[in-house]
Amino acid sequence: MTAMTVPADPKEDTSLRSVPWQRMGWVTWRQHRASLAGVAVFLGALAVALWLAGRQLHSAHTAAIAACHPASSLACPGMVIAFDGTNGFLANGFILQAVPVLIGAFAGAPVLARELETGTFRYAWTQGFGRWRWTLAKLVPLGVVLAAAAGAFSLLLNWYYQPYFDAGNQAVSLTELTPFSPGLFDLRGIGFAAWTLAAFAIGALAGMLIRRVVPAIVATLAAYVALAFAAGGWLRPAYMTPAVTSNLNVPGSAWILSQWWTKGGKFAFAGWPSQSLLNRFCPTGPPGPVGPGGKPKAVSLAGCLTPHGYTQWTSYQPASRFWSFQWIEGGWLLALSALLIAATVWLVRRRAA
Amino acid sequence: MSMNVIEADGLGKRYGGTWALRDCSLAVPAGHVAALVGPNGAGKTTLLNLAAGLAAPSAGGVTVLDGRPAGSVAALDGIAFVAQDTPLYKNLPARDMLHLTRNLNRRFDQQYAEIRLGELGIPLKRKAGKLSGGQQAQLALTLALARRPRLLVPDEPVAMLDPVARHDFMASVLTAMAADGVSVVLSSHVLAELERVADYLILLSRGRVQLAGEVDDLLASHRMLTGPAAEADQYAERLSVVHARRGQAQAHLLVRTTSDDPAPPGWEAHPVGLEELALAYLREPGAAALPGPARGRNNQQTEVTK
Amino acid sequence: MNIDKGTIREPGAAASGSGDSENGPQPGRKGGSGSPIEFRLDAASGVPTYLQLVHQVEHALRLGYLTLGDQLPKVRDVVAALAINPNTVLKAYKELETKGLTAGRPGQGTFIQATLSQVALPELAGLRKALLGWLAAADAAGLDQDGMVALFTSALQDFLNRRGGSAARRGTAGGGTEGVA
Repeated sequence: MTAMTVPADPKEDTSLRSVPWQRMGWVTWRQHRASLAGVAVFLGALAVALWLAGRQLHSAHTAAIAACHPASSLACPGMVIAFDGTNGFLANGFILQAVPVLIGAFAGAPVLARELETGTFRYAWTQGFGRWRWTLAKLVPLGVVLAAAAGAFSLLLNWYYQPYFDAGNQAVSLTELTPFSPGLFDLRGIGFAAWTLAAFAIGALAGMLIRRVVPAIVATLAAYVALAFAAGGWLRPAYMTPAVTSNLNVPGSAWILSQWWTKGGKFAFAGWPSQSLLNRFCPTGPPGPVGPGGKPKAVSLAGCLTPHGYTQWTSYQPASRFWSFQWIEGGWLLALSALLIAATVWLVRRRAA
Repeated sequence: MSMNVIEADGLGKRYGGTWALRDCSLAVPAGHVAALVGPNGAGKTTLLNLAAGLAAPSAGGVTVLDGRPAGSVAALDGIAFVAQDTPLYKNLPARDMLHLTRNLNRRFDQQYAEIRLGELGIPLKRKAGKLSGGQQAQLALTLALARRPRLLVPDEPVAMLDPVARHDFMASVLTAMAADGVSVVLSSHVLAELERVADYLILLSRGRVQLAGEVDDLLASHRMLTGPAAEADQYAERLSVVHARRGQAQAHLLVRTTSDDPAPPGWEAHPVGLEELALAYLREPGAAALPGPARGRNNQQTEVTK
Repeated sequence: MNIDKGTIREPGAAASGSGDSENGPQPGRKGGSGSPIEFRLDAASGVPTYLQLVHQVEHALRLGYLTLGDQLPKVRDVVAALAINPNTVLKAYKELETKGLTAGRPGQGTFIQATLSQVALPELAGLRKALLGWLAAADAAGLDQDGMVALFTSALQDFLNRRGGSAARRGTAGGGTEGVA
């Protein structure tokens, strides 16, 4: 029987180079342009809103500074209250904390999860390009673009929150925030871009592991939240050894990690004294004006305890370390993102069907 | 000079605790339409996924197109796999699917693809998800063939198609073979069309290869013997019986034979058709006829065929 | 029946002359292949596909649809129309070539190079009617199907032997009635 044999083509076979990387550029763009457009619209709308709100905030700030120049002027307290009240919902930054994870989850998780869920990976991963190169050629450019967009947006964020960190604030008793405030630290500097990249990388890996779009998005949100809490609660305080001082006048811009009291060189108590101690040394009730949280300002507590030999110690991170911390956090987030993307690519390479 | 488009050696794949495919050894020659046949769950898709590089073996190995490791760049270059349900990006128009495939492969015949889609009446601007089932299958096939592969691997391509679409699809596949020398390994559980289409058969049952060989050889090496039921048992001892059917007085024995011996006295010998042969083997999961050394793992006799 | 090896006419009118070769990256063309005949397939007949093609060519030769020099349908066109394996078509064409009925020209196609004696259609009808009459008589005499076949086959053998028919006519594989081409 005559079979139709395929003629060998030696010329074709010897030079089996891979398909060039840049071909994936169009592929990534075409498949994810809706997603990227969504991110652009989202950030764009936010940017407009933030700019409008920022102008309000900046003008309130300028007005407050001007009104408080003679610090005891009559208009000053009103202006301060007006400033404090402007855009109060943005003041602690928690709302905007959602932005990196939303971008990362919705842009990152579907990259692989949708292919696996709809079965199109059986097309994409049997083409000549090869599946792990395909994955890499998608994740890296997308990650870079998203990080860049987030970075651009964070310039606006830096501008918005600048009034809270203005050097002249303390003089006019405007709210002095610590740059390490948990809701604000990673909105400024390079933190926003780094966290967006990390969210994207988590999303990509979740997509590959879970193989369904919606569960992967949910898992990404959960993992990111856990990571953010871990970072803010345990990692960040330890980036550099905290400074310790017994000076009672710790600047308001510092990030106070813990406070404790000693007497005669020995540890007495941390935080709030026991009721019996209070009764002994502060018999006239909670002394002095209350500070944030309703607790009496420590300075006032010191007022009754210090004469009896108690020393207050404060462990804190000074505001001047802000940028060092940004680089440290950005650095490990970048490394984590690279690791997660590498893990995703490795998984794709190892197992598919 | 002919090469093997798929060579498997003790190939196995396990999912969790179950072996979807086991002890699979094959050598499928080029220039044929090889039909991979078996009931649902027999391991057909698993085998094709392994050959296409979509899955990695748990045991043994598989190479394609004369020794290229499955899943390697060289293998992906020469194999066009069309998965079940012909996956396409539903929101992309046909034109963008062409563009996509062109970018993802070294070779792509854009002109051929456009002409073919034009002949089939598939509009380039329409989203793939809005095409009919038959059109989607034809689009997926066009993308595959435009890559100028050496081997086309459609996985149950016609399962979801109506008869006309099914005929057109198979006609396209076979025309590609005729015109460009593409080898085909397809999976099917529709036995009736096999005789027309396949010239190499691989029978899979419960994850194991029961039968593999050129159709002509297989048909020539099997015979249906019809005779008295009372004598059936004594011949079952001497002959290599694949499958027996008995009535009260009459019995049919499907035997495997390497020679042209005449039927035993009182018995008639008939040639067997492909569908009948395949069905008989599928009904006897223990029977196997593999080229190469016999592996004694069946209840029935395993005989070495050519 | 004898084979007339007449002179081969120029493959003129009947040849497709389309110029494209059997091989080459071209999408399948629909429509006529340029050959005088078209194949059909009876999937349920039990006759192997390639044999059906062989018989159809011989039948067409007998009835005059095909004459010397005519081109058989291109392999690709047969495959496109019937969705059958190209190797099957090749096998059929090879069989015809072995029988001396056709010759393949590389790059051009397969052409008829010999004819079977043609029996005109009315004659065929008359022969068929006579045969049916004979069958009725045999049936009336009590012969069953196998008996009729056996009787016919042996009579045919005698006839061929008496006529000194050459052994060049091979019987095809399969049952008795297939033996005559």
